[in-house]
Amino acid sequence: MIEILQWTTLAVCGLVAVARIPEALKGRNTSLFYIFALMALAILLSIEKPYVAIDQAMGGINMANLLLRFVIFGAIFFLGIRISKAFGATGAYRLITGRTGRLALLIFSALVVVVFLLMDTAGSSAGLVSVSGKDPRNYALVEYYGAAGRAYPAFVSLVLLPAMTRAVAGRLPVLVRIAAGLLGLGGVAIAFSLLFPVIPPELGALEFVVNYTAVLCFVLGLALIWAARIRQDKRAGSTSSFTEK
Amino acid sequence: MTLSAKAFQRWLQGIAPDASTADVCRVSGIKRTTLAQQLVRGKVSVSTVVSISRAYNINPVSALGEFEAYRVLAGPPQPPTRCELVSQVSTADLLRAVLARPAMGAFGREEAAPAPLSPAPHATSVKNWVDAIDDGEVRHRVSAATGIAPQNYSAQLTANRLTPELAVATALAAGVGPAGGLVATGLVTEEEAGWPPGARQDALDSMSDGDLTALAGDRLQALGKVLRRQEQDQAQTEKIWENLG
Repeated sequence: MIEILQWTTLAVCGLVAVARIPEALKGRNTSLFYIFALMALAILLSIEKPYVAIDQAMGGINMANLLLRFVIFGAIFFLGIRISKAFGATGAYRLITGRTGRLALLIFSALVVVVFLLMDTAGSSAGLVSVSGKDPRNYALVEYYGAAGRAYPAFVSLVLLPAMTRAVAGRLPVLVRIAAGLLGLGGVAIAFSLLFPVIPPELGALEFVVNYTAVLCFVLGLALIWAARIRQDKRAGSTSSFTEK
Repeated sequence: MTLSAKAFQRWLQGIAPDASTADVCRVSGIKRTTLAQQLVRGKVSVSTVVSISRAYNINPVSALGEFEAYRVLAGPPQPPTRCELVSQVSTADLLRAVLARPAMGAFGREEAAPAPLSPAPHATSVKNWVDAIDDGEVRHRVSAATGIAPQNYSAQLTANRLTPELAVATALAAGVGPAGGLVATGLVTEEEAGWPPGARQDALDSMSDGDLTALAGDRLQALGKVLRRQEQDQAQTEKIWENLG
């Protein structure tokens, strides 16, 4: 069940990224293509089989997991910039790109690296499951590592949330408002992931559902805005050709 | 509110006893499927009755008066108030009238006879009509009498729409002639509502320079607000396309 969710999410991200290539080649919002590509890469790195294959190639000490963290940080950083700019959320934009945001990125990145170095990371394992099972010390370290890795995305999505709520209630085109709702929902899901340490182990599947829901919401939300723009272009195109006649 | 099919059939019997449904549709220009659907559902729209009355040279206002829900429309028409008449002058015509006034100096002096007013309704005729007859409490009384939520009522006015039922209810709540709202919504013409020919022009002419200028100012201010809001929405949407499209 979880595997279906994982591969579906990967397929969606991959398809949207590929579909975005022509626009990227035209130079239209190239960063959007990179965001989709980074998201697809992040999903790829969170699925067991591809993870193990990639990590083995990188030395088998779970460097791929560290890479995954920075892929996520990068994707969420650019996403935050694009979304806050697009929705005119100057406060959110300043929080993400200003001193607070850069400091948060720096601190959480440093934490992730330091905790990673403290762990005994030998033996490829997606989600560091086998590392966590080694001994209580490594178990605790993996928890801290995960928390640090989730903190920065949660920071960015919480910063974006007010603007998304405003956009949903506003007078934008209906597709854009639905998209803002999806982006907001994704943000809530990411923020919710901060609570993972207190979720009982029996509900472990919930973590996967929340993670992939977040990614799917972001990708679908962005794709929807793209679709809305194409629809708008078409409409504008048809009216202009009508008047040209 | 729609009219019951039964009452409609009875009324139709009265005005065109021998005509088949097909005949009625041909004469009145209503699509056969439309009328058939309305009859099957048992809900005949008010505009159907208006179209058919016109086709059979019956005054649509008194035709509606034969239906229970619109009984108030029966009987001799009540003359419109000056405020109502002026509210049905389009903003462009109003501004032209202002420019032609002596108070505006020599601006329009050389102009020959003023162009005739464009027929009602105009782009903001519904809202202007309600504003013209509103003593400050009309909206409350309408929503108390009909059960419509105030925000839904306002939304209709903003969209320059009002259902015939609400148009009549509003006129009653304000104590003006019951057919005025039907003119403002464009369901019936001024003539059909019993407004004397040239009444709007006369009402306009009878306004003092000060009143007319102030009214034009109000109209312009309201128009400016609407336009500015549209421009803001447009700019916001453009920004989204620019960053995420």
